[in-house]
Amino acid sequence: MTGTVSSLTRRGFVGGSAALGLATAARAQAPAPVKVGLIVPLSGLYARPGAVMKMGAELGIADVNAAGGIKALGGARLELVALDCGDTVEKAKNAAQRMVAQETDLVAATGAYLSSFTLAVSEVTERAALPLLTLSYSDLLTDRGFRYIFQTAATAAAQSALGLPELMKLAESASGKRPKTVAIAMDNTGTSVATAKALKEKLFPQLGLQLVMDEVWTPPLSDATPLIQKVRSTRPDLFLFMPNAIADAKLGIEKMNEFGLGQGRVPTISFSITIAEPDMLQSVSPEVVQGIMTIVANWGVKGQEKLIADVKAKYGEPWATQNIVSTYGDMWLIKDALEKAGKADRAAVAEALRTGDFGPSRYYPGGRLQFDDKGRRIGAGVVIVQWQKGVPVAVFPDDLALAPPFWPKR
Amino acid sequence: MPTLRSLGPILVAAALYAGLAALVTNSYYQLTLTLVLVWAIFGLSWNLLSGYTGLVSFGHAAFFGLGAYTTALGQIYLGLSPWLLIPAGAVVGGLAGLIVGIPTFRLRGHYFALAMLAYPLAMLYVFEWLGFQEVTLPIKRDAPFAYMQFSDPRLYTLVALVMLLAVVLITRAIEGSRFGMALLAIKQNEAAAEAAGINTLAWKLRAIALSGAIAGAVGAFYAVVLLVVTPPSVFGMLVSAQALTVSMFGGVGTVWGPLIGAAVLIPVSEILHAELGARIPGIQGVIFGLAIMAVILLAPEGVYWRVRDRLRQRRAAAPVPEAPPAAVEAGVVPFAAPARPSRARRRTGEVLLSVRGLSKSFGGLKAVQNVSFDVHEGMILGIIGPNGAGKTTLFNLLNGFLRPDAGQVIVAGRDRVGAMPHELARAGIGRTFQVMRPFLRMSVRDNVRVGAYLRAGSEDEARRLADAAVEQVGLSAVADRIAGQLTTKELRLMELARALAGQPRLLLLDETLAGLGHGEADEVVAVIRRLAEGGITIVIIEHTMQAMVRLVDHFLVLDHGAVLVDGEPEQVTRDPQVIEAYLGKKWVAHAHA
Repeated sequence: MTGTVSSLTRRGFVGGSAALGLATAARAQAPAPVKVGLIVPLSGLYARPGAVMKMGAELGIADVNAAGGIKALGGARLELVALDCGDTVEKAKNAAQRMVAQETDLVAATGAYLSSFTLAVSEVTERAALPLLTLSYSDLLTDRGFRYIFQTAATAAAQSALGLPELMKLAESASGKRPKTVAIAMDNTGTSVATAKALKEKLFPQLGLQLVMDEVWTPPLSDATPLIQKVRSTRPDLFLFMPNAIADAKLGIEKMNEFGLGQGRVPTISFSITIAEPDMLQSVSPEVVQGIMTIVANWGVKGQEKLIADVKAKYGEPWATQNIVSTYGDMWLIKDALEKAGKADRAAVAEALRTGDFGPSRYYPGGRLQFDDKGRRIGAGVVIVQWQKGVPVAVFPDDLALAPPFWPKR
Repeated sequence: MPTLRSLGPILVAAALYAGLAALVTNSYYQLTLTLVLVWAIFGLSWNLLSGYTGLVSFGHAAFFGLGAYTTALGQIYLGLSPWLLIPAGAVVGGLAGLIVGIPTFRLRGHYFALAMLAYPLAMLYVFEWLGFQEVTLPIKRDAPFAYMQFSDPRLYTLVALVMLLAVVLITRAIEGSRFGMALLAIKQNEAAAEAAGINTLAWKLRAIALSGAIAGAVGAFYAVVLLVVTPPSVFGMLVSAQALTVSMFGGVGTVWGPLIGAAVLIPVSEILHAELGARIPGIQGVIFGLAIMAVILLAPEGVYWRVRDRLRQRRAAAPVPEAPPAAVEAGVVPFAAPARPSRARRRTGEVLLSVRGLSKSFGGLKAVQNVSFDVHEGMILGIIGPNGAGKTTLFNLLNGFLRPDAGQVIVAGRDRVGAMPHELARAGIGRTFQVMRPFLRMSVRDNVRVGAYLRAGSEDEARRLADAAVEQVGLSAVADRIAGQLTTKELRLMELARALAGQPRLLLLDETLAGLGHGEADEVVAVIRRLAEGGITIVIIEHTMQAMVRLVDHFLVLDHGAVLVDGEPEQVTRDPQVIEAYLGKKWVAHAHA
């Protein structure tokens, strides 16, 4: 009896240790995963865009891993660490501090949606020497002499300079005459103010546009009637409508329709993704937004059909906005940097991002996957998006457009 | 020195906190430690105004934000260091406090709170309009220490701790002084405070300027910690609310309140955010809100007061040899008062107060009509009349709460119509109120001391005057008890002592006997009589006649705002008009029978 038991035990022991040895060997072969931070608002006022950015990051990581992970690190997989940066600057700063203090093995991070939050987060990541990719486009972000921030989007000032001349060309070719007058109605958030400043000081004189109306509101917009009445009386060739809250956008557009100015009778252009968010369709019908254009830093474009389909299939998002595409692209860019760095080390990744040239851009419009001294992506372009039959589609630049633009006929 | 002794626990707490901060190397926990102190200081700043005066401010973010922008803009445009800009932020905050206070203190209660709400919201839009949507403090790589950009986060906690200690010292110094007494008096009853000789507007302005200065300084420091300043992050509703939340949670009106509140709420909210934020977004706010609601329900006045009251109760339950009630009684002169000097003599003394043709209407109601009478030095004048006869209105006219439509109030030969209550108090008119307004958590001695500041030049003198007044009314045995434990009679006597501490020549007593039983009323009457013998002239309102008949030298009977009868007690009690006014017509015949 005793002998049997002991032999059984011995056999079991031998077998067990062999299995253990195999497991250890397997672990030694699969390199440790490489952690990437995502610091975005997951609660509060900006939870929705933050959640969308998380979708982009998750998809990006899944696709990078499916394609074999980081080859330079023996096929190491990427792993996402999501942090909620809340809805205030203080919470964003706290979350960033938590990220650098407790997630010490991050090699890079992306965030933090609102430029105020990105400003606070980058103050922390800069001091912790953690590379931070961002889709925020405030010029200030990369004007502070920071070395660990990498701005993938064209800056606010650059976006209008890139987009508006194209719109002018489009208008000229479609309607046969060049727009001469322009009206502005905008909220007083940081982005709108920065954009409007660039427009009024540089672009309008350059393009020979005359400003016939200049109205500012503080969100939330309570009544759009006075604004739209003024649009009706001034009848501009271009109406630049710049809301940053869905409710404001909806109010303005519905009022335009009510006044018979909608659906392109006054060509309406926006400068953020707000007016092209899927949420818009929850409150207005597709006919109301038909023809409205917006100049954005990124969008789901030609060549990203698979991404757009995945987003729809996995998350039920009807189309891929800047938040998804940029964050998705960030994962691929971090992969590129890791391949160049050859080690899972934040300093090496930062150096790779600073000095590397990863070829033509794939998930950001225009230019290359390369950054200048300030940390701005070289050649960063814009996408012009137009509402067509209930979907905002990319219509410019030509090589990325999914549909040709149409200039609304009066 | 009671102030130094009471600082002991604070210094121990600060030393422990410093020790904790020195041990924490995780920069995230260290940031939380710094922010706890920031919000504790901001809570103390709010407490200094709202906790002590009871004027709730929903707009402390205005001062906080101005401080924050002082640092940010001062460093960006002038290249100054936060070491200079934090004091500058205090100056800006203090000036803002004065500018806000002067118009806003015209309002009371909810109106004050609502008006305060407007300032930070207005500032928010002003700073957005100025184009300061997002400002960042420039990074100083070559001189980090000179610009407070420490690489060791423990230094931020240390700076904040020093600031907090300074603010605690200031608050403590105020609490124990006439400044603090004045603010507490305003909180309990602004009118009574004014009547006790406190220039309420001046003290309130001092309080808001100091409170604004503290908020400005801590706002300036907050900008250094956050490095990014946006209007919503420093002028937002949530910022003002933060000051209220930490103070109300911890306990209003004490230096410990905001400290407890910040030390509990800030880490809890941060932990909830860190642990749950990424998993169930938004749940942290729900839990945090529920926790605050639960605490407010269980401890409506804040954690500190709840705990303190519990401890006191436990201590009181233990058999402590307390002064038996008999001792209190012993301090009161027995009712069998010595024979009084003749009434005639006391009616011929010098005229201290002369009222001529005084009238006051509220709309169509003639509350006081053409009332004239004289009060001679040393006499006790009883003003009686049925409810609504205009007795209290008359008092309010005499001590400056109301301005008469016509007539004169001549005090010692000078017409004082239009003078402020605290000026009349200074001129020697003291008063008590029909509705008692004791400071329930303060000791009897401290309650009385509030009134003593009218005459006292120093804290010592105030204590001496207060003790003398307490003795005069026979409350020495209970002088250290808190007012909340007194009986109605003792409270009446304490109110009397508070008025006496200001050493008035003329004392206006508004229904001092109301709500007292027979024996009790007699004791109070004895005290009043003793005061009169001590040389204080007394005018007393009462609507019951019984106790009065034995007390007063002269009666003034009011009905429907006019003088009905002016005469000796014996004569007045037999006057048919008086009987009719009090009892109705059929009793007139009865009385003559």
